[in-house]
Amino acid sequence: MKTLIYLTSPTYSSLALKEGLDLALVLGTFEQDVSLCLTGDALSLLHINQSPLQRHGKHLYKLLDGLEFYDIVNVYVKEDELHNSTIELWDGITSLSQDAWHSMLRDHTHIYRF
Amino acid sequence: MKFSLFITGSPTSTKACHSALDFALALMRGGDHSLAGVFFYEDATYIANQFAMPPRDECHIGQEWADFATQYEIPLYVCIAAAIRRGIVNDSEAKRYELDTSNLAKPYQLEGLGTLISLSSESDRIVRFR
Repeated sequence: MKTLIYLTSPTYSSLALKEGLDLALVLGTFEQDVSLCLTGDALSLLHINQSPLQRHGKHLYKLLDGLEFYDIVNVYVKEDELHNSTIELWDGITSLSQDAWHSMLRDHTHIYRF
Repeated sequence: MKFSLFITGSPTSTKACHSALDFALALMRGGDHSLAGVFFYEDATYIANQFAMPPRDECHIGQEWADFATQYEIPLYVCIAAAIRRGIVNDSEAKRYELDTSNLAKPYQLEGLGTLISLSSESDRIVRFR
């Protein structure tokens, strides 16, 4: 059973993205096959050199390097969104073409969107 | 087919909990399907706050879910971390945080996200309401 956590919410303006990541980490802890994908506002999670204040919530970028300890190795983004970004992003991502993106979605049993 | 429901929308600022209850009632009354459980996450956890008192002439969605769960013996799971963050605690969590009282309504149960994973494993479909 493959599970995809599909992140679209901005990083710090609500708890949605954090609670999506929490679910991903628990799935990993329970040795489930889990991947992440990010699109739209959620791409802000990947911006390097971000420095949220304590009021913004937990520094979520710091979680990214720890994903591999939960066996979360696939973090997908859309290729065309990467081309539009002028900000340097975390380097653990896999960019997918539109066709590959759709194929990736079909490849998962459960998709949770946050 | 065996279903589970995953609800994340607030009971006050969205109709997620209301739509999910309609869906659950249709499932149970249809007779061909079963419901393994319901998992409340994010702002949907507010549904389990027994101090929430809507006006008497309005729908009390938390109580309606409780009545549904009792009638059909369906477990209502509430994410413990999301609930505590929002001020909803059972007796043991109230004691742990040295609070004067608890406010988890019956028959809601605080559970970890592992319970959601179990539900998804044992169900043919998880339906999300946000």
